[in-house]
Amino acid sequence: MIRETRRRGAWLAATVLAAGSLIATALPAYAETGVSSSEIKLGITLPLTGAASPGYNKIGNAMNAYFKYVNENGGVYGRKITLIQKNDEYSPQLSIAKTNELILKDKVFALVGPLGTANFTAVHKSVGLAKRGVPSLFLNTGFSGFAKKANYPASFMILPSYAMEAKIIAQFLKENHAGKKLGIVYQNDEFGIDGMGAFKAAGTKFDVTVPYTSGSQSAATAQTWVSQLAAGGAQVVVFFGVTSATAPLLAVAAGAKYAPQWILGSVGSDPLTLRALGVPVAVLNGAQTPAGNPSPNDTSDEYVKQFQEINTKYNTGTAFDDYVLQGMNIGLMTVQALRAAGPNPTRKGLTSAIETKGSTFASVAYSPLGYSKTSNVGHTGYYMAVMDANGDRKPFGGTVKLYTTDSGSGPVVLSTFKRPAMPAKGLPSNS
Amino acid sequence: MELWPEVRCAVRKKIAFFILLGWLLLLIGDRIDELRVYQGAQIAMYTIALASIVLLTGYSGQISLGNGAMMAVGGYAAALSLNKLESPVWFAFLMAVFFSALFGALLGAAAARLSGPYLAGTTLALAVGLPEIANQFAFLGGVPGILFDVGFPPARFGEEFTQYKWFFWIATFLALLSLFITSNILQSRFGRTWSAIRSNPLAAELSGIHSSRMKILAFTISSALAGLAGAVLAMTISLVAPGAYTLTLSFALVTGAVLAGVSSLPGVALGALILVAIPEIADVLANSWGGGENFSNYLPGLIVSLLLILSVIFTPNGPGENLRRHHHKKASEH
Repeated sequence: MIRETRRRGAWLAATVLAAGSLIATALPAYAETGVSSSEIKLGITLPLTGAASPGYNKIGNAMNAYFKYVNENGGVYGRKITLIQKNDEYSPQLSIAKTNELILKDKVFALVGPLGTANFTAVHKSVGLAKRGVPSLFLNTGFSGFAKKANYPASFMILPSYAMEAKIIAQFLKENHAGKKLGIVYQNDEFGIDGMGAFKAAGTKFDVTVPYTSGSQSAATAQTWVSQLAAGGAQVVVFFGVTSATAPLLAVAAGAKYAPQWILGSVGSDPLTLRALGVPVAVLNGAQTPAGNPSPNDTSDEYVKQFQEINTKYNTGTAFDDYVLQGMNIGLMTVQALRAAGPNPTRKGLTSAIETKGSTFASVAYSPLGYSKTSNVGHTGYYMAVMDANGDRKPFGGTVKLYTTDSGSGPVVLSTFKRPAMPAKGLPSNS
Repeated sequence: MELWPEVRCAVRKKIAFFILLGWLLLLIGDRIDELRVYQGAQIAMYTIALASIVLLTGYSGQISLGNGAMMAVGGYAAALSLNKLESPVWFAFLMAVFFSALFGALLGAAAARLSGPYLAGTTLALAVGLPEIANQFAFLGGVPGILFDVGFPPARFGEEFTQYKWFFWIATFLALLSLFITSNILQSRFGRTWSAIRSNPLAAELSGIHSSRMKILAFTISSALAGLAGAVLAMTISLVAPGAYTLTLSFALVTGAVLAGVSSLPGVALGALILVAIPEIADVLANSWGGGENFSNYLPGLIVSLLLILSVIFTPNGPGENLRRHHHKKASEH
């Protein structure tokens, strides 16, 4: 009897010990996914290789360079930021697979700067980001559909929407190209249709309309676009597509001696990428484009100057261009968001911090940020710029004339907004 | 007359086996982490796709390198049915089967005149060209593709029941159903007829088999299976896009079928498991070599090609087939 009781006691002790050790090993050092006492893990999917990679492939490394700089200067409340980059080759199905890896395998705290309208639409649905409550910060796409907070409760845009961009171009056309024959080449998907809807609402009537299916762009298809534009006598041509389509369009038009006034949308107007794709610089000379940020060559700008210094030290050998500037700026915004979430960040806390404090974050872009409890809209405006013979851009008319608007029926207004100053040494101290 | 009760008993046993297997898989699905559940859905998808190759190549002897294209037909049919006709999900899967079968029948009619490398070449051209057609038509969504949303799992399964578990359940059910139907077809007179055509077409014709008609039938059923796999693939990524049905996918399927033994239906699950494991292995290798993300996407393709080459050199019928023969030989010795 005694022996049996002892044996039972031994079994009980062993069970308690085993269960205890299991619980002890199962308990994480910190209760939130992707956050430990010394590290915050973030993830990004972007095209590091493939046709769409030129330019975009710099964003991750630029963000990483900024995070390295912050880590060397104390991190975020003592925690170092680790950014895991995954190559999705700009394909939605790879993007889903890689985001799955980031969330289920690498167990990141949040996604930062995911790229591409179709990619993020598919990822958000398939991976179930809203249901999981995984914050997706500062999307590298301007699709206004992502501004529906009810559908994308934990996602935050950073770029002005394509609808805003179209409305501002429409205003610019009215003010500067009235009476001229207008043409437009646009990508026939959410991205282009987003813009076309806004042009229609703004009352812009195009004399020649050339839609193209994403992926069909080539020198051969560009021939047909140029023929249609030239036959229709378009004097001002708006291009609302991606850089891989801008390049053949401009190259073919130059070859055919067709030289309208080009207005290149923000997505397809990066000079370095255009040049890398073989577009003669002379064609870019005089092209007009909406821009949100200062030129990456404008060293008189405090943000540009600071980011250039960080780039030289932590991103050695990479030319400083719009993509690097955008990547660093997303890094800067992310650090402010993490700081605003407090010393013990949670996914919910991070989302709530951007909603309540995000509109005051420092950012390189000139326009205000639209974050609030009911809005996940990022920057809300553009100024028009002109490209010079070197592919650099200067504000149209010599000074920055900032227009702000919304993605709906709101008016386009000339803004006097003054952006917040760059935090001292580029290191945010907000809370 | 005495045969029928035996057949009925065998079918009952088979049904019981599949139900038991399904129950076991669902139990496993409850006990593994979410990433593995997702991969489970992928294994189920590959299982259906490989079954289509086993039926076509392993039994009827027709070589197809274009199964990715058949999958694309199924995927687009399902997505268009769901989005344009606003049909229920089960109907979308049915449309995938119907349209890919129809496409397969048309292709089969042309393919019946071809054999060996000519047939392989034709289907290869199809695998290259067909998904690219989507880039030319706006209603097919171009490169970004079109969404294929089967919806959230029913609320009665509870909050803990994830989207991926829902994919896993649907994919597993469809895979088991496909395997059940395929195994019955292969054991029927059709299966025997196909084997006869594959082994000796002339002898089969002399014994009264209409070989072209039977080949077209094989192509049709195989395409239907591939189309269903295409729709399941679309479900797991919530999307139909040309980039999902690449030439790499077609080659991966051929490799999976060869590795598992191309004339073995039970082997398809092993082949599917290998295909899902390859990217995981590639990831580990890429990380251990350093520089990971820049080439980790290309490593699975390299591994697939290497495995196919090695398999063809050392075990032309596939390692799965060799193992089975070895096992049979041993069994007959005892």
